[in-house]
Amino acid sequence: MTDTQQPNPSEMAEVTQARPHRTLLNDAWIRLRRNRLAVAGAIIILIFALGAIFAPLITKYNFAKQDLDSIFLQPSGVHWLGTDELGRDVFARMLYGARTSLAVGIFTQLIVLLIGLPIGAFAGSKGGRVDNLLMRFVDIMYGFPDILLIILLSAVLRGTVFGNMGGGIFVIFLAIGLVAWVNVSRLVRGQILSLKQRDFVTAARAMGGKGTYITMRHLLPNSLGPIIVSITFGVPRAIFTEAALSYIGIGVKPPTPSWGAMIHDGYNVMFTAPHLVIVPAVAIALIMLAFTFLGDGLRDALDPRSRR
Amino acid sequence: MSTLLDVRNLVTRFHTQDGVVKAVNGASFTVAKGETIAIVGESGCGKSVTSLSILRLIAQPQGKIVSGEALLDGTDLLKLSTEEMRKIRGARISMIFQEPMSSLNPVLTIGRQMTEQLELHRHMGQQEALAEAINLLKLVGIPQAERRVKDYPHHFSGGMRQRVMIAMAISCKPQLVIADEPTTAVDVTIQSQLLELIRGITDEMGMSLILITHNLGVVARYARRVYVMYAGTVVEHGPALSVYHHPLHPYTSGLLASVPRLDEPRKGRLAPIEGQPPDMMCPPVGCPFQPRCAYALPKCLTDRPELQEMAPGHFTACWVAFSGETLWQKT
Repeated sequence: MTDTQQPNPSEMAEVTQARPHRTLLNDAWIRLRRNRLAVAGAIIILIFALGAIFAPLITKYNFAKQDLDSIFLQPSGVHWLGTDELGRDVFARMLYGARTSLAVGIFTQLIVLLIGLPIGAFAGSKGGRVDNLLMRFVDIMYGFPDILLIILLSAVLRGTVFGNMGGGIFVIFLAIGLVAWVNVSRLVRGQILSLKQRDFVTAARAMGGKGTYITMRHLLPNSLGPIIVSITFGVPRAIFTEAALSYIGIGVKPPTPSWGAMIHDGYNVMFTAPHLVIVPAVAIALIMLAFTFLGDGLRDALDPRSRR
Repeated sequence: MSTLLDVRNLVTRFHTQDGVVKAVNGASFTVAKGETIAIVGESGCGKSVTSLSILRLIAQPQGKIVSGEALLDGTDLLKLSTEEMRKIRGARISMIFQEPMSSLNPVLTIGRQMTEQLELHRHMGQQEALAEAINLLKLVGIPQAERRVKDYPHHFSGGMRQRVMIAMAISCKPQLVIADEPTTAVDVTIQSQLLELIRGITDEMGMSLILITHNLGVVARYARRVYVMYAGTVVEHGPALSVYHHPLHPYTSGLLASVPRLDEPRKGRLAPIEGQPPDMMCPPVGCPFQPRCAYALPKCLTDRPELQEMAPGHFTACWVAFSGETLWQKT
């Protein structure tokens, strides 16, 4: 449509024919690609993800193998990022640590979505007493300090069947997921409450639409944008929480590498071997920044009003 | 002609934090099969609430239909269960809304929004429903309908969206279409096209039509009979031409005087109706129009007039008109 020549009437039909059909997500994708920071964020995430997935191909070292003859080595051609106090390769530990972090980020948000979305949607569309009850429960959850509740939950869950799954990582998923869902459920409920007032919902009801149909077809798809954004912002929060838990020693069990635990281990020798703290700290900072950029970009891209 | 919809003494109220808004106070009207009627009145006189009440779509829990009947082919819509009512909406009574810009779901394609009700009410398969949606779009004059069904609402202009809304409203072949100020949100140039379209289609398909409007000019042209509403009640009704040429209620006459005319020589400034519509939380005791009426009698302050037939089929509720004087009539 950017042709410089003026279309004459006989060509008009062809010009309109040529306009591509774009779905809304398609549209958002085009807008997202134009956002440099979001693209940079996505690339960083992709690099970490590829590193995490193909870790065994990238480094020949085992993240758990100790070599007490070569401890506290500075970064070199042999050990790209040096070794730690037990002679383990830091680069390998960082790569495998990315597995932990990304898994925590993604799986906690899945749990959040699985719990928060239906509860929020149900409360918002039903309204009345159901809404009141559910939201008071959410308020109570909200009233507790997050980190305290997560520590409490992980202590409780450690004693159950989940305790030993994947080196304690399942406990982390569950503990964070079971606390963080309240945000999403509040968001979804708020979205649905405001969308319910919109004319097209009245119109859908005037056409004889059922309550559940209206929720699934009209209300939820319209709140998809904010939900995706919230989930994207939830990932770095979960990663950070896991790092914090591992830092204070109640996260994943050693020797499973975690960036938080790496900082904890390196903390005591921070002045003699600073790379032991710097490497995982930079990794955490980078992945959080990347997800935040991507989240910002998604928020702009998914908002139809930002259409230029 | 047999009666399709018979609304009797409809009373709808809204409970707000400031008190009870008596939005509709005993409105009554009938629509015959295949007939077009118009409900006219200024903003806030209860036109829209009346139509939403018939479909039982007024905002819950504040809004409440207190009493009255709305008989569709003899069954009282106000007494049906929620589920039974849902089956009537769209299938037997459908509605065209005021705001085409916001009455379509922005994240669904036009085709998807249309096919859903076809599948729901007419039990069509997906392919069949899509073909029917394309036919309907062609019927309402959307060019390249085959392509346009895949478009989203924001690809359409206001007038086009209203055409889509019309297509959706008639898609399940309802017996009654309620058009709630269908042209207020679109360009003046499109307004008459849309009204012609609505009228043409409903006529052709033998549907009854309730045209809700504040434009008396529209009424004379499209409706057979007119109901003039004021403060939640009908103050005058009768054949369109009779109401238009011989208004029996000072309010109707005021409405007519405040509309510019192209077919008559200019007589100077337009004459607006002085004052404001009454506060529906505490409407006047007597005639609701009395505070704004230049001809009010002492009786108007205390007694509410009931509708009386003054000419064949032409009713009014006005003490002054009952006394035989219609000073406001054009000479």
